[in-house]
Amino acid sequence: MMGIKKLAAKVADYQDRLERGQASKIKPAHVSEVLKKLRKKEAELQADLTDTNKHDKRDRLTRKITIAREHISRAEWLLEQLS
Amino acid sequence: MRRFYLPVAIGVMVLAFWLRAEVQEIAAGVAIFLFGMLMLEDGFKLLSGGALERVLQRATGSVSRALAFGAFSTTLLQSSSLVSVITISFLSAGLISLMGGIGVIFGANIGTTTGAWLVAGFGLKVNIASYAMPMLAVSIILVFQKSKPLQGIGYALGGLGFLFLGIHHMKEGFDAFQDQIDLTRFALSGIAGLVVYTLLGTVATVIMQSSHATMVLIITALASGQITYENALALAIGANIGTTITAIIGSLGANFQGKRLAVAHLIFNTATAAIALAFIAPLAHTVDWVSASLGIASDDYALKLAVFHTIFNTLGVVLMLPLLRQLVTFLERRIIEPLPTVSQPHFLNDAVEDFPETLESALRNEVSHLYGNAEELILHGLNLHRHQLYDTDDVEDLVRRSRRPTDLDIGERYEQRIKTLYAAIVDYASRAGARRYDPDVIDRIYVLRNVATNIVQAIKSVKHLRKNVLRYTSHPDGTVTEIYNDLRIEIARIMVEIHKLSLTDPEERSALWLEQESAQIEEDARSTTQRIDALIRNEKLNPVAATSFLNDSGYAYDAMRELIAAARNFYVERDSALAEVERLLALDEEELEAAAQTPGATLPEPPTHKRNMGVTNET
Repeated sequence: MMGIKKLAAKVADYQDRLERGQASKIKPAHVSEVLKKLRKKEAELQADLTDTNKHDKRDRLTRKITIAREHISRAEWLLEQLS
Repeated sequence: MRRFYLPVAIGVMVLAFWLRAEVQEIAAGVAIFLFGMLMLEDGFKLLSGGALERVLQRATGSVSRALAFGAFSTTLLQSSSLVSVITISFLSAGLISLMGGIGVIFGANIGTTTGAWLVAGFGLKVNIASYAMPMLAVSIILVFQKSKPLQGIGYALGGLGFLFLGIHHMKEGFDAFQDQIDLTRFALSGIAGLVVYTLLGTVATVIMQSSHATMVLIITALASGQITYENALALAIGANIGTTITAIIGSLGANFQGKRLAVAHLIFNTATAAIALAFIAPLAHTVDWVSASLGIASDDYALKLAVFHTIFNTLGVVLMLPLLRQLVTFLERRIIEPLPTVSQPHFLNDAVEDFPETLESALRNEVSHLYGNAEELILHGLNLHRHQLYDTDDVEDLVRRSRRPTDLDIGERYEQRIKTLYAAIVDYASRAGARRYDPDVIDRIYVLRNVATNIVQAIKSVKHLRKNVLRYTSHPDGTVTEIYNDLRIEIARIMVEIHKLSLTDPEERSALWLEQESAQIEEDARSTTQRIDALIRNEKLNPVAATSFLNDSGYAYDAMRELIAAARNFYVERDSALAEVERLLALDEEELEAAAQTPGATLPEPPTHKRNMGVTNET
């Protein structure tokens, strides 16, 4: 996972805002819900990739899957932090 | 039925031309006349907002003034038909009110009686057609001037010239039919005679396009004893109905207001004629009495006819004036104003402002309405159509095949479909900021306002792009067509992704998905620049075309970024905790760029044979 430092900084900023009453409290269930949506999209992209032969389309799908996986990794890391 | 209308109309016309050569001149006269009407209207539009508007507003500001204006101008021009068509132009151009217009028409009916006096007393008839040629010659010089008022005067003068010319050709064409009018053939007594001669007067005036000409015909027939005095009165009544035909022809090219005025003219003249016919005997006695008072000999039927014409037209005005408001109401109900082409807010109104959640919901719906209009405008700007794009499995193929330019003036369509909605969204969102709403609600309202701004910016970028899209993608032109098509494909794909997101169940979708599109946009923008560099180096694209393309690709990628930003903010989680999670997981620009250039490690191999099931969109 890339940008772990940036993510950790964002989480620290969120906790500050939470303490000041300027943010809504995140529960693991919230992260799990977002994670479910991200995994669903990744599965769809994987299925599309399996079905296509076009070179440029495979490139685009691969790029999308990379982003989807990055989001999933971050969500899993965040879930771990909250658990 | 509508698609058969044009070929049938042209077919009938050609057949009529073949059967009677005179019909060609009549039809050309009508065409020249209508062209004159359009030109006259354009001229008045150019002149509007200035002195003419003020003069007309003052001249028609009250019914009595409008009456005087109509009577004076008709006396001057010696043609009530001409005054009525010019009034229709004024009304269509929005320079006067319907009430004022009807007042002018009423006044014109009084003014036209001076013509009867001239014809009867002096045998005079002003030939307006003789002015047409010099008017047209002078008008064209004015039309080519830079000053808008001069151009306006030029168009109005030219329009008037064409009106005169059109009437002249219609008359010339009808000359052949005029010889066939033998008034003695219809000699009947009593009510039947009145009705028949009234119809005859109507038909004669329609044919000759002039109530003055009909008056000359009546006086001649009266003097030669072809018809009786009573028959002559009925003919004069009919001429008053027939003279409305010019206004009816003029209203064909006018808007709903012009049509209302033409119908008002017809109603007024027909009602006046009906009253005159119903009271023909007392009217005839009144004419005798007035004529005797004026010293007109009892057998001077020509002048007595002029007296009759004046009395019955004035009587019509006196009787119809109290019913003017009812007439206006009737016309407004029967001839409905077409729905405005400008999109009006569907959800925002003063009633939603009192409740923050209601306002937020109304704003959300209005932004969605705005996006719907913008979606159509952007795709048409790229010569694409929503239903085709969202139904296709192969965006790339569809875009490359979509070469036919859409009939679109993007600036005009922006004014009609976007500007009013955007203004309403900005207005209501800004006003919400001044109210004591929950800060979270205000934040969300401002986000919606920003979404609207993103949408509008995307349209403006596509507007810049359209010129060269039209130039290079309507016909195959090698590399330059290819690169412009690629831009169209990329924008189309973004629109498809946003559309797919809008159709996904809100419980199952995430605005984070759009970051995949953002990464793709940045990668495409980077590779496009590299590709253009290579094309210039290999001399496959000249530097001038390349520069234009780089500018246009800048607009295209800006449009894509704005659309994605709009969608991300619009589809952001409504639950604040879920929205917080999405904010934490979101990648910044640097991370997106890095991720876009680092393709996944363990991805499945492509299929070895093409599947025929589970077809997905080629996006």
